[in-house]
Amino acid sequence: MPENNTYDAIVVGSGISGGWAAKELTEKGLKVLLLERGKKIEHVKDYKNTTKEVWDFPDRNSVTQQMKVDYPVLKRDYALKESTIDANWSPWASDKDNPYTETKRFDWFRGYILGGRSLLWGRQSYRFNKWDFEANAKEGIGTDWPVRYDEIAPWYSYAEKFAGIQGSKQGLEVLPDGEYLPAMEMNIVEKDIAEKMKEHYKGKRHMFIGRSANITEPKPEQNRVNCQYRNRCWYGCPFGATFSSNSATLPVAFNTGNLTLETNKIVTKLIYDKDKKKATAVEALDAETNKTYTYNAKIIFLCASTFNSTWILMNSATDTWPGGLGSSSGELGHNVMDHHFRLGAGGKVSGYEDKYIYGRRPTGIYIPRFRNIYDDKRDYLRGFGYQGGANRGRGLEVAEFTIGADLKAALSEPSDDWSINITAFGEMLPYHDNKITLSKTRKDKWGLPVLDFDVEIKENELKMRKDMMADAEEMLTIAGVKNVKAYDSGYAPGMGIHEMGTARMGRDPKSSVLNGHNQVWDAPNVFVTDGSFMASASCVNPSLTYMAFTARAADFAVKELKKGNI
Amino acid sequence: MNRRDLIKQIALLTGAAVIGSEGFLSGCKTGAKSEAGFTAENIALLNEVGETIIPATHTPGARAAQVGEFMKRFVTDCYTQKEQNAFIKGIDDLNAACKKMYNKSFMEADAIQRHDLLVSLEKEAKPFNQQIEDKEKDLRAAAKKAAKEFDGTPKHYYTMMKQMTLMGFFTSKTGATETLRHIQVPGKYDGALPYKKGDRAWAESL
Repeated sequence: MPENNTYDAIVVGSGISGGWAAKELTEKGLKVLLLERGKKIEHVKDYKNTTKEVWDFPDRNSVTQQMKVDYPVLKRDYALKESTIDANWSPWASDKDNPYTETKRFDWFRGYILGGRSLLWGRQSYRFNKWDFEANAKEGIGTDWPVRYDEIAPWYSYAEKFAGIQGSKQGLEVLPDGEYLPAMEMNIVEKDIAEKMKEHYKGKRHMFIGRSANITEPKPEQNRVNCQYRNRCWYGCPFGATFSSNSATLPVAFNTGNLTLETNKIVTKLIYDKDKKKATAVEALDAETNKTYTYNAKIIFLCASTFNSTWILMNSATDTWPGGLGSSSGELGHNVMDHHFRLGAGGKVSGYEDKYIYGRRPTGIYIPRFRNIYDDKRDYLRGFGYQGGANRGRGLEVAEFTIGADLKAALSEPSDDWSINITAFGEMLPYHDNKITLSKTRKDKWGLPVLDFDVEIKENELKMRKDMMADAEEMLTIAGVKNVKAYDSGYAPGMGIHEMGTARMGRDPKSSVLNGHNQVWDAPNVFVTDGSFMASASCVNPSLTYMAFTARAADFAVKELKKGNI
Repeated sequence: MNRRDLIKQIALLTGAAVIGSEGFLSGCKTGAKSEAGFTAENIALLNEVGETIIPATHTPGARAAQVGEFMKRFVTDCYTQKEQNAFIKGIDDLNAACKKMYNKSFMEADAIQRHDLLVSLEKEAKPFNQQIEDKEKDLRAAAKKAAKEFDGTPKHYYTMMKQMTLMGFFTSKTGATETLRHIQVPGKYDGALPYKKGDRAWAESL
């Protein structure tokens, strides 16, 4: 550890954004301290459930009554199960240790561990399109993005090449092509449905393999082996085929010799020097010993995850900034977004009894947005895309009350029909009154104020949801799917685990927290590059955009540092 | 297929949501935990109930998969207290039903008698569960809407036994690898694998 705990840069958080910040800054020669609030894990060695099978879990990967008591938030959706919460592998944050309050219901699924949710993400990797960056300005929503597609495109390429994204080029404006490794295959039913859709909608709707951060060719320079089709990404990939901080960015950062890692350190505030108009240090609490540490640095990258980075800024209130660092615009904590989803359609497909599937593909299909683009005009703004896939299930039909050898035989074979399901992911607009605030009354076990959530979807999203369901039903029906059933399983904000906003970037310090380089207007040596900076949400999965903006911000920060500007 | 498909299939085959797997909606707040009531005899009997539903054929059946042990564990960990009580009482009810039909306990009954008894319980469980479903439909829907837990009347004990037999068997090592197929590291993907009638299905993934 350098003398006086002083570094060139501090990165707070080791998830997707923090991993990228650490990699970029150390590669550029800066001495970097990475602070992670969760515990340390070692790539591969600590992926203790990754080769286990369902029979290795006593309750066969179910949710026990005790788990429901221990994880009152996590139990609200699929994330909670025996294999991701047991003594060997528990990447999700403890709901009990990390409470929050809900003025309105908000499902906050957090990953407090080295690597954060880069170990738990869905790995879907799409670029925002040019319209996504222009829409706020054109429609008078929120604040204009201070960045346009052309400016971020090279950084998308940079991020894609390093992370390793498999996918196919489609030549669509709505979902720009990137730098891809060979695409995974659609199965025979998906291919046929894609063909039928293309024909019917005359090339205006498309279905192809979901672009994902699973490598399909080895990356020996990163010690990563290509995907083995186990679909066990959530348990840590022992092949390094899944992009995570642990498999990709952090090893590079460590190899520079410039990275110092401190785990179990909860960053509580930034120390602001009002004469220098900069943050000069970071204060952190050891999660186990409760000891307070102070670390000094020239630049600080907040990558603690959407809401937690904003929480740090809010908790850094001073006489100069009583609402928290970066609060001068009145937008800090506001404009919470997520992707609203959990609705779509499914059905059965006949005629493929002589075909089956080998291997467990870790991605599905993607249908990019087709609403409110070109000549399509709806009674709501923005749009949605679909994710899903076709599969051949197990079990032939049996007569009622059948048990014994006949039942066993019927259940040992694949079903005659295949099934297909598509789920829509919709854009949620940034609303000023969708906000997080520091609780005035509730504190966690470290005595830190918890966040309160006041977020809801509004009319625009509710109108969009009608299309999200109806369009799914129509597309599957047109593609010849039988027994098509549309569904809406209900959505609560946060369930998308794509939380964004609360420290939006913009062109004007009066209406935004960050400038176009992710710098806090009120403290230019502080950069926020996780989902907090997002000025709008698009309808595509956001992580790739965090990678691109983080790499761009790091490049800018180092140049500014060298020029003596920060 | 994945775990969710398995749960859906079991629900379809037993005409009831899988008890202990309802996630958000079911479950009491106290985290029931009591192994009381499970004796070695109970487990032996549950193995035989399982074996009657999924017997050994050219591959091992539910007894070899030790579904009795699994039921003990799953009931203890995942059932609510009410459901646990109903299940334990169900073991006696099953014996009583067997006595009534054959004047023998379940363990004394032969394979055909066991089979016929369980088929009669299949027929009894269906309207039994339906009645509960109808009666509590509104309460359940209201709880769902309010995102509250609903600890309703337990389903028929036979439904519990059948659900856990199917879950326990197809997620056991023998069920997944001998009756079904499983490859730990497939290494590649083929979305148009030739299939001929009778080839085994893949086991559900974790």
